[in-house]
Amino acid sequence: MKLQNKERSLLGLASILVGFLFVILLKAQGTVGSQLTRQETALPSLIQTEQENQQISEDNEKIQQELVKYAEGQNASALANQQLQEAQMNAGAVAVTGPAVRITLDDSKRVAIGQEDPNNFLIHEQYIREIFNALWNGGAEAIAVNGQRVTTNTEVFCAGSYIQINGTRQMPPYVIDAIGDTNNLSAALKFYGWDKLGDFQQQYGITRKLDVLPEVIIPAGKLRDYRYAEPVKEGT
Amino acid sequence: MHHWKRSLALPVTLVAIALGFMISLQAQTQKNVSAAEQISAERMGQMKSVLTNSQAQNTRLQEEHQFLLKQLDEARKKVGTDPQLLAQLKQLQIFEGTQAVEGPGIQISIDDRNKKALYPLSPDDIARLINTLKFAGAEAISINGQRIVSTTAIVLSGNSTILVNTIPINRSEGVPYELDAIGNQDTLLDYFSKLEAPGLKKYGLTVSITRKTVLIPSYKGTYTFVHANPVPA
Repeated sequence: MKLQNKERSLLGLASILVGFLFVILLKAQGTVGSQLTRQETALPSLIQTEQENQQISEDNEKIQQELVKYAEGQNASALANQQLQEAQMNAGAVAVTGPAVRITLDDSKRVAIGQEDPNNFLIHEQYIREIFNALWNGGAEAIAVNGQRVTTNTEVFCAGSYIQINGTRQMPPYVIDAIGDTNNLSAALKFYGWDKLGDFQQQYGITRKLDVLPEVIIPAGKLRDYRYAEPVKEGT
Repeated sequence: MHHWKRSLALPVTLVAIALGFMISLQAQTQKNVSAAEQISAERMGQMKSVLTNSQAQNTRLQEEHQFLLKQLDEARKKVGTDPQLLAQLKQLQIFEGTQAVEGPGIQISIDDRNKKALYPLSPDDIARLINTLKFAGAEAISINGQRIVSTTAIVLSGNSTILVNTIPINRSEGVPYELDAIGNQDTLLDYFSKLEAPGLKKYGLTVSITRKTVLIPSYKGTYTFVHANPVPA
């Protein structure tokens, strides 16, 4: 079909208009998107700084209180001893007792048949770590697994047929004790991994048990020597 | 031939209606966008000033913190506290994490933002990496400035915010994750590069490990004991 001049110019005009609209639309979409990301990144760093500020303020207050005690001329060695005891407690170097939740995990007594994945019948290191994480998050004050106190340096590492914890070989069943508010601790366990273990219990026969005990004793952890880490000099 | 063809009348009308509709829609969108832009810019400005204030306060608090620690050290020396007891206290404070430490170690940078990355780094991944560093005998560990202590929980908040010691560690600029560990450099490097780095790289994450002297900040949270009581020795 041959187009007339007028028609051709009209068509050209329309095309230009549509193209123009399209470009504007894309541009508008682009600016909306970028605004969003800029705001999203500024917010976490604000929360981060605010919370860190709060942490440092609390810490500074503690030091100030201690300085006041020195200024008041309190018995210096008594003060140091008191601090030592606090630090030992914080570090987990003291055996503690209190109300607790006890979690028992054990491999299945059944063996995998046919197409079943044998991994689903065993307790793996990450289950134990996930449970620790949930318990700390729920406000646990002290945790031990098979009599090993969980401290700053505690590893839970799968070494084939056993799990290495605090440098010791641990075999199932794994009994985890955690002292704290037992309601909070029980509630904190309601996470994805815990439900998954429940499914494994039904399907493959592993053990996943939760008991609330009025009192348990959690043993003291072992301290370590430092060969590489040096305290940072204050005031620098 | 200056008159329109009848057969063209209907399609042209339809096109004209569609075009008119698009133009008005576009005008509306444009108006909304400029309004949104303005609001957003205002909000950004407010947020920036709050952030600047907060950062200034942070600097001031850090300075105050250092000053107080120095005073405390002097006060302890002045009253002549048993140096052996002080040494024991320092050791315990490294263990509980309230003492900042420095020493030889490794720094691990992990970038999960590139297009090849199949998954972003998850809290479980971070817990596993830290566990491997502990297995390698690390004496002190931190991730994005948060000291790892016994009670450290690593959890996801919302879709992508990772909390360590209840503090969000996500960064808006630079490498997303930086792990520092003090200990035997050979062991740390060997264990991490063999046990963890290949897995991360397989999923498209960028990992770099360097030997260096690292400074690991103190744990700024608090330990509270309400239910646990010390067992008399």
